[in-house]
Amino acid sequence: MARKRKQAYKQAPWRRQIQSIGLSLLPVVAIAVIISLYLIISAQAAAAGLQIMNLHYEEEEILRTIANQRSQLAWITSYSQMQKRTEKMGYEVAPESDVHYITIAGYQGQNAVLIAPPPGVKNRPTSINNDLYKQSLSSWILSTFFINSSNSLEGDS
Amino acid sequence: MKKSNGLRLNLIGISLSLASILIILQMVRIQNSTKHQELSEWADEEYSYAVENYYPERGNIYDRWGRLLAGNEDVYEVGVMLEYVTNPSTIAQTLDGINQLNYKEIFSAASKSYDPEKSVYAVLTDFLPSGVIDTLSQIKQDFEIENPYGKKENLPSLRGVVWNPHLKRSYPENSLASNILGFYSYMDRENGIGYYGIEEYYDDLLTGMPIETFMPRNPYLLEELPDVPAGASLVLTIDREIQAMVEKKLDDAVEEHEAESGTVIVMDPRNGEILAMASQPRVNLNQYWKYEDEFEDKTPFNRAISETYEPGSVFKVLTMSAAFDNGTVDEETIFNDPGRFEYGGSVIYNWNRRGWGKQTMQGCMQHSLNVCLAWVATEMGNNDFYEYLQAFGIGRRSNIDLGGEEIWPLSAPGDSNWYPIQLATNSFGQGVAVTPMQLAAAVSAVANEGKLMKPHVLKAIIQDGKQYDTSPQVLSVPIKPKTARTMNLMLMESLKEESSLATVPGYSIAGKTGTAEIPVEGVYGTELTNASFVGWGPVNDPQFLVYVWIEKPGSSPWGSVVAAPVFSSITQDLVKFLDIPPDDNIQNLTAKST
Repeated sequence: MARKRKQAYKQAPWRRQIQSIGLSLLPVVAIAVIISLYLIISAQAAAAGLQIMNLHYEEEEILRTIANQRSQLAWITSYSQMQKRTEKMGYEVAPESDVHYITIAGYQGQNAVLIAPPPGVKNRPTSINNDLYKQSLSSWILSTFFINSSNSLEGDS
Repeated sequence: MKKSNGLRLNLIGISLSLASILIILQMVRIQNSTKHQELSEWADEEYSYAVENYYPERGNIYDRWGRLLAGNEDVYEVGVMLEYVTNPSTIAQTLDGINQLNYKEIFSAASKSYDPEKSVYAVLTDFLPSGVIDTLSQIKQDFEIENPYGKKENLPSLRGVVWNPHLKRSYPENSLASNILGFYSYMDRENGIGYYGIEEYYDDLLTGMPIETFMPRNPYLLEELPDVPAGASLVLTIDREIQAMVEKKLDDAVEEHEAESGTVIVMDPRNGEILAMASQPRVNLNQYWKYEDEFEDKTPFNRAISETYEPGSVFKVLTMSAAFDNGTVDEETIFNDPGRFEYGGSVIYNWNRRGWGKQTMQGCMQHSLNVCLAWVATEMGNNDFYEYLQAFGIGRRSNIDLGGEEIWPLSAPGDSNWYPIQLATNSFGQGVAVTPMQLAAAVSAVANEGKLMKPHVLKAIIQDGKQYDTSPQVLSVPIKPKTARTMNLMLMESLKEESSLATVPGYSIAGKTGTAEIPVEGVYGTELTNASFVGWGPVNDPQFLVYVWIEKPGSSPWGSVVAAPVFSSITQDLVKFLDIPPDDNIQNLTAKST
């Protein structure tokens, strides 16, 4: 009787088989998920690295272009070029008799050139590289799930 | 389920597990093997990082109003990647004639066989402007469309031709202010340095700090790339417009008077700022390698700071200032000029070899009497006279911030090369040698209430995005302010009295001419002279000092004829550039404003 009851409540063999397969596959699936996550994050990190490299080359090119255009501007506004243009436009040097001086209250004359701000003005940008880009997956997991702190970004750098 | 099925499944499970364990064991073994360590290290060394050199952009040089005098331009190096070259003939034909390249040279370079160890890349030419590269790029693309990958040998192809951009030094004003700027030897990309002038003196600042860094090839390892700050940029005290005006007037004067050369310095005596400094010859700095053609036989690059000479009568300004300052003479002192002065076994004569009778000190300066000045110096005595000269900076570098400054040491009592007669001859600028810069700086003390300011051409430095302005420095105070004012009035009156060609209508100018005989093999009395004039104004508030030196003029030997008119002409334009109204205008404007 007891044997019959036991048999009546026993799982079907195919179900037990699926359960055991499922249980043995569970860690495999978990590992696959972790690996996938790691791959995704790694791919993103690699893409960010390449982007940094590209931006670096782009920055170099922009700086070269700026320097080049500054020089080109200087060429077309050089003394000899400006002389030619003034002559072409009909300007001539004013004779002494045509020069008149007047007093302008408060006018101090032409200001000294200021190509860059003087020292003391804080305008230097800090690093534009986001701290998140420096974080590894392990440090992100640690900081997000295990360390209950809002400021704990353990950068690898 | 049959028993045999279960057994089979178990066997498969065990086999797979064993296989997995074996794989893992093998992985661990490989990971920990010494060979792996070696291979890993080798791969790291060879492929993980590349050594990259970052050369910062050379700093710019601006004039006092921010106009670019020296900058950088984008240019390209063109070369061939030998591995990819398919048609050297097309490369040679396309580049033939560019940058003086010829077919044979290019063909030979492009035909080299590829060797991964020794021969990978060959430079064809460098410093090509972007316009040429645009054309080259277009041609390369067209060929590539017709003959993809250059596979057809009978069709043209520029495969393998590559170009890399870089910056080169550029001087948009060509030869303008070349004597001040100097040049940077940009053709030598690895070891280029600054020569002469600003480029030499401030070479370290302009160059910045080149960085050699390991650049990871693995993007995972890439973090922040090194920030290479550009070299510092410099703002000069030079005014481009004044410089151009002065250079033109100097060139005209040298040509008109058939002189060998000339130099003009324009400075602000109140702070020592050099507004313009012109000298001959000059060179187009964009073709600096030709400078040896222009500067033959050790000709100085900038005569204003590198050529010493006997200044002649302009030196009398210093002698008379010293005598007034120590009380040897005053406005009432009368000197009876007999036309000759015997001292130290030699005889001093005036320029016209005759006596001028009773003269005040103003008369002595107005007529430029050597005999009078020699008497004044001997009355002062050796110690006082040479102490004053040293206080005026004679015999020492002016310490102007330009590369290549020269000096001639001042011989003083006690020196082996000093003789008693030198006290007399030095008083009128003979037997003593200075550079134009030294003399202009010394005389500027007389114009500036007795304060000798350090002459300089640097107004500000721009580094790390900040502009640092320089401050004027007082080098010494050789004479009292009262003496300086007395000298100003005396030299203004003497110019008026002699109706000098140096005067400027409407402006009060003080100044002194100079005509110095040039000794040939130690003998004076030839026709060769140094004609000069130093003047400043307006006398009530001196804002400029102009020194003109015309070397060996052919039309006339006299400074009053050759150099004085150049001073007047320059000053007439200078007052307009500096917005200095005529004296009567100042009085009217002051009256209106009060």
